[in-house]
Amino acid sequence: MNSNRRIAHLDMDAFFASVELRFYPELQGQAVVVGGARVHAPETLADGSRRFARLRDYAGRGVVTTSTYEARALGVFSGMGLMKSAQLAPEAILLPAQFEAYRDYSRRFKAAVAAIAPTIEDRGIDEIYLDLTDHPEPTLPLVQRLKGAVLEATGLSCSVGVAPNKLLAKICSDLDKPDGITLLEAADIPTRIWPLAPRKINGIGPKAAARLERLGIDSIGALAATPEDFLVRHFGAGTGAWLHRAAHGVDHSPVVTSREPKSISRETTFERDLHVRQDRPELSRQFTALCERVAADLARKGYLSRTIGIKLRYEDFQAVTRDVTLPVAVGDAAAIRRAAGECLKRVPLERKIRLLGVRCGALVPQGQESEETEERQGKLPF
Amino acid sequence: MVILKSQRDALLAPLQSVSGIVERRHTLPILSNVLLEKQGESLTLIATDIEIQITTRSENVGGNGDGAVTVAAKKLQDILRSLPDSAEITLDLEDKRLLVKAGKSRFSLQTLPADDFPRMAISEGESKSLSVTQKQFRYLIGKTQYAMAAQDVRYYLNGLMLMVDGKELRCVATDGHRLAFNSMEIEADLARQEMILPRKTVLELNRLLGDNDEPLHITVGSNQIRFAFGHTVLVSKLIDGKFPDYERVIPAQLANHMIADRQTLHSAMSRAAILTNDKFRGVRIMLADNVLKIIAANAEQEEAQEEIEVKYDGAPMDVGFNVTYLLDVFNNLGGDEVQWSFNDANSSALITVPGNDRFKYVVMPMRI
Repeated sequence: MNSNRRIAHLDMDAFFASVELRFYPELQGQAVVVGGARVHAPETLADGSRRFARLRDYAGRGVVTTSTYEARALGVFSGMGLMKSAQLAPEAILLPAQFEAYRDYSRRFKAAVAAIAPTIEDRGIDEIYLDLTDHPEPTLPLVQRLKGAVLEATGLSCSVGVAPNKLLAKICSDLDKPDGITLLEAADIPTRIWPLAPRKINGIGPKAAARLERLGIDSIGALAATPEDFLVRHFGAGTGAWLHRAAHGVDHSPVVTSREPKSISRETTFERDLHVRQDRPELSRQFTALCERVAADLARKGYLSRTIGIKLRYEDFQAVTRDVTLPVAVGDAAAIRRAAGECLKRVPLERKIRLLGVRCGALVPQGQESEETEERQGKLPF
Repeated sequence: MVILKSQRDALLAPLQSVSGIVERRHTLPILSNVLLEKQGESLTLIATDIEIQITTRSENVGGNGDGAVTVAAKKLQDILRSLPDSAEITLDLEDKRLLVKAGKSRFSLQTLPADDFPRMAISEGESKSLSVTQKQFRYLIGKTQYAMAAQDVRYYLNGLMLMVDGKELRCVATDGHRLAFNSMEIEADLARQEMILPRKTVLELNRLLGDNDEPLHITVGSNQIRFAFGHTVLVSKLIDGKFPDYERVIPAQLANHMIADRQTLHSAMSRAAILTNDKFRGVRIMLADNVLKIIAANAEQEEAQEEIEVKYDGAPMDVGFNVTYLLDVFNNLGGDEVQWSFNDANSSALITVPGNDRFKYVVMPMRI
């Protein structure tokens, strides 16, 4: 592995909210919260001005999809219940999410970056990794040029971290948000990375962070100072070794320019909690609709799936998943519905259900599914 | 209140015959339970998974109290099984708990009310009934059930098709690659009706039916089937679906016939199977004058070769099969000889037993 890699992580700033501000520039500088797709859209008044919904008027069970930096300053972050966030920022503007628009802006910024630096790993709608190692330009002007291109294509700002690997680049892009550039070299790790909380490492979530905290490890530096065998004892061989490497800023993972999806899934949170018996028709309709959407996703992306799973979140937020592996890969909604229905039989259904999801894993590109056993073994001519 | 006092096996044996269908993990907790109903000297046990319900009875049990309660089937079974054979068991129902006592052992189990136990509604309306011996029916399904699909998306293949037609009872199982057919004569004369028994029902019947001449009464409703034998009644839902037309795939005219000793063939096939590819399980079968050669090779280039003497004077033949499909049939067939009939290497082979025209097994070849 080349030890002098130049890896960039480019992260769009408050992406969904910023796209919304492109549509409603008058909201610039205000606390704006983007909710679900079902939230009321702004009304255009007779004089051409617009009337926006306020967070305080919201009643329902939607969650915050994203918020502007002004709203974040009031404590409103993505994932928070809208009713709860209304208590923190009652006057904040509430907008419905327009996912199609976000996807459009996402395509635009990625295309703008690709024109300059084509080695891109797509990490979702609003972030990418770039391998700049072989790029002739020096880092700082190159990053400035990338940011300029993104701004020109979308009118949006982004933050970029450049470091010797993906792990550090990801941490760096977050250090100077919004509209920041952070360049980091291996020698900077003790001064700039070690003071940070372990959670800043992509892969250390709230649970692992809490466990580290209980072990008295409250910074990446403290983690780096912890003997590897101690971590292995507490977290197992794989995770322990990884924590040790990560704390020392070691990450050899390459920038993967194309990837096959591992699974395709769809889920929905109901307007109100549903019970399997009392709300059977409604639940059944939603369930079928989810399967149809997943089937459409599979078809669009050209896959069939052998492992169909479901995810349920109950009214008390406890979640369960079940899956079933089929002898042949399937793609049509009816077959997915049937397999998912089998999974549903295996979960407790006394409590009401808040969220239902359908997941298709073990994906097989369409057309390749029957190549192996299926085609060798003759079928009875029914 | 002591509701039961008996030898261990007077409780364990009926419990084991109902508890096979109890799912460990189920949506309804009470479905992990068995219903115990004691009245006079008779103890009735019921278990269900909603699709199947098994009821059985133990007579002449002691204990002066009557009562009904449900308790975790597997736990009770594990407890009884680990007590000595000779143990005398007392079941004592006390304030929503069931106390199981034997010698100096005490187990206090939680219960759920008997009234909450779901019982399958017995379907009304038109029904057909017939009686055969347990042994006959067990033979009928035993020769076919291994060919059922297990988790096929074509859900109607995950079961056994049972058909009454005049004075005949037929059954067919297929997973789309091979098909097993068996039939028997019955003493009734019934209008033709097809039904698909769920896989689990078939496996359970295969387990519960005795190898004896005791009667088995079968009652068929529109979406339900009932099997009554000894003290036991099994009620099962039927799979709603259209089973493929088996008659289309059973070849009528075949050009070549080979007869072999079943045991010899089975042993040679099992040995060769050791070196088949784990994924495809393919074996190559080569037939020439009175000699059958079995060749298997795996991904590591290891190879097995077997040669056995058979009766064959047809055209030379070289064809591949999934060895599992062949072992299944040779393993489940009785009798000394098997007959293997075919046209060519691309079409299905028919396996039968000489002198028995009731059993047929059709298997498609595999490209090696």
